[in-house]
Amino acid sequence: MPEGGPARLHSGSVSKGRRRRSSSIIYVEPPETMEQLSDQVALPNLNANWVNNKGAWLIHPICIAGLKIFYDTIPGVSQETSWTLTNITYMFATYLMFHYVQGIPFEFNSGAYDNLNMWEQMDNGDQYTPSKKFLTSMPILLFLLSTHYTHYDLTFFVVNWMALMSVIIPKLPSFHRMRVVMPWSQPIEEVEGEDPP
Amino acid sequence: MASNMTASASASATQLFNMDYEEFIALLFTMRDLAITQFHRIPGSAIVTRYIKMSYQHDPARSAIELCLVIFAIRYLLAPKYSTQKKNFVKLRDDEIDELIEDWAPEPLVAPLTEFEQEQVEKTPVITGPTGPKVKLANGRTVTNLASANYFNLAGQPALAESAIATLRTYGVGPCGPPGFYGTQDVHIDCERDLAEFLGCQDCIIYAQAFSTINAVIPAFAKRGDYIVADDKCNFAIQKALQLSRSTIRWYKHNDMDDLEKVLKKIDRESRGRELTRRFIVTEALFEDGGDVADLGTIVKLKFQYKYRLILDETNSFGFVGATGRGLTELYNLPATDVDMIVGTLATAFVGGGGFCCGSKEIVHHQRISGLAYVFSAALPAMLATTVSEVIKMLRENPENFIVPLRENIKTFHAALAKTDMLTVTSSPLSPVISFTLNTKKEATVAEQDRMTQDIVDECLANGVLVTRAKRIALPAGMAKGPSWFGWDPAAAIKIHVSTGFTKKECEKAAGIIRSAVTKVVGRRR
Repeated sequence: MPEGGPARLHSGSVSKGRRRRSSSIIYVEPPETMEQLSDQVALPNLNANWVNNKGAWLIHPICIAGLKIFYDTIPGVSQETSWTLTNITYMFATYLMFHYVQGIPFEFNSGAYDNLNMWEQMDNGDQYTPSKKFLTSMPILLFLLSTHYTHYDLTFFVVNWMALMSVIIPKLPSFHRMRVVMPWSQPIEEVEGEDPP
Repeated sequence: MASNMTASASASATQLFNMDYEEFIALLFTMRDLAITQFHRIPGSAIVTRYIKMSYQHDPARSAIELCLVIFAIRYLLAPKYSTQKKNFVKLRDDEIDELIEDWAPEPLVAPLTEFEQEQVEKTPVITGPTGPKVKLANGRTVTNLASANYFNLAGQPALAESAIATLRTYGVGPCGPPGFYGTQDVHIDCERDLAEFLGCQDCIIYAQAFSTINAVIPAFAKRGDYIVADDKCNFAIQKALQLSRSTIRWYKHNDMDDLEKVLKKIDRESRGRELTRRFIVTEALFEDGGDVADLGTIVKLKFQYKYRLILDETNSFGFVGATGRGLTELYNLPATDVDMIVGTLATAFVGGGGFCCGSKEIVHHQRISGLAYVFSAALPAMLATTVSEVIKMLRENPENFIVPLRENIKTFHAALAKTDMLTVTSSPLSPVISFTLNTKKEATVAEQDRMTQDIVDECLANGVLVTRAKRIALPAGMAKGPSWFGWDPAAAIKIHVSTGFTKKECEKAAGIIRSAVTKVVGRRR
């Protein structure tokens, strides 16, 4: 049995490509291996496909309205703060859902989507699809509304703008499968299995 | 005159131009007014006007940023859809396609048999009638059967046959449906309970096919990114299961506990700071290749120390290893609950069919929806389940009736085979499948070893004893061993399947025939 033998390219280990150069803080997820691709299509991706379902778009304005009403009911919160809080909450929630969490909560694909976040899983990674267009225009619209109702106060504007950028930048097609490696992020270097004896 | 005319023409042109310009401006203003009136007619236009008026607020920088954002949004909305999936094929013209099709000569799906393979096919003995210690071959001869895994000689037992027929009359042949889809019958639940009670586990699940049991169990729990540490002599079914699991696999040297600890330590080191993943140790209890016993005591100790789950394949040990046949955990005096998953077959000693997995309630419950062979295969025929239950009952009532004579016969064979130095018995005295390798003075090649073992099998059959040999699964042509090929490459050995159906005398006689066959074949080479 080889001790630290050649890396196995079969199903067990992810391909050798998944290995970050030590100097680079930008890392692009390499294309999937044949096994990963076949596992990905083994069953429909229930994690990402629901965005194309009926009513999936409507829930966004409903959630935003709900958030606004919620913050309005808290005593002592001004209209400006209420709009800004609504904006930040929506941006944070969508960032968490679409860009931060990777993989699928269901075990239908033997972990073949483990390295992709939901935005990258949506529509098989296609860009400018109707759902992606809708989900990109939603935060922009909310931002324009909230800056308007905060009466263009500079502080609120900066806060809202930063919240918007945190969700718009990861949505850009040129940031597809791109990771920024922070000092606290997990090492991306993949552990490798061994050849059978 | 001419110049005068020119001057007046140019003056009139200027006038005309001036007039046109003014008219044009007036037209523009009219159009603008019209546009504004039209715009005001659009519902909601007042809001937009107010919004734009308010948003400027003498802050050109901020307005520019917002304008850029709006332009970006419009561009994004108008951009055409495209796929990021890289197409890895070349677009060919029709004539190129035709040319390629003409050039293409298909390879045979199966390679033609080699001479040795052809010979094996021709020599394969065919048994007519039921199996048992003595079987009748198609050519009319009656031979001693040391090639069936009928260890307790229960295969033809009238009591079991009667109960099987009674079940057949009630339940029919097969349930014709997967267990989760009308396939489960009360006898299956009884059989699962009997097995769990017999082993001392919380719960048990029955699979309809022995080979696919481990193939379903391991991938049900281990996924991409999980670690599996496995013995490097694990049988073919386990290797396929490991491959299907998509996990990161590490091997330790066969039954080498120091190496196992080294591997566990290494994983511990390199996974520090990473997300916690599931980790498993996979081993066979009694190895198919070689027939030795795993050092379960140390493995269990290490598994608790390094926080692993243990999957133990008792395919070749369940029913006859341990004082009462409860397998390797009994042999090592460990509770069966120390092993997270015990997998075994019901097709050999239990003369039924299928396999089982024993473990905690959660582990069994998870498999009922995630064990692929359980979910997608038709359930075990009812008569096999009742037969297994009957055998368990017999084993629990008086184990000494089965285990003791089996051990005696194994001992007889071991003693008889020890009389010659031309073979080495590798299997443990606990294993009813005695496997031995041949001792040749000169190191024999793999092909020569296969040739010799086949010759011994033929020689034994000629003298009325049916034995088998270890066979390997050949590497497909054009495939390199390693990356994607998990094969089965056991040592060349003769396999004797001992049964309680033989008297001591019959055992000695059969062993004598095998010994003389070995002497003849190996001696010829020496």
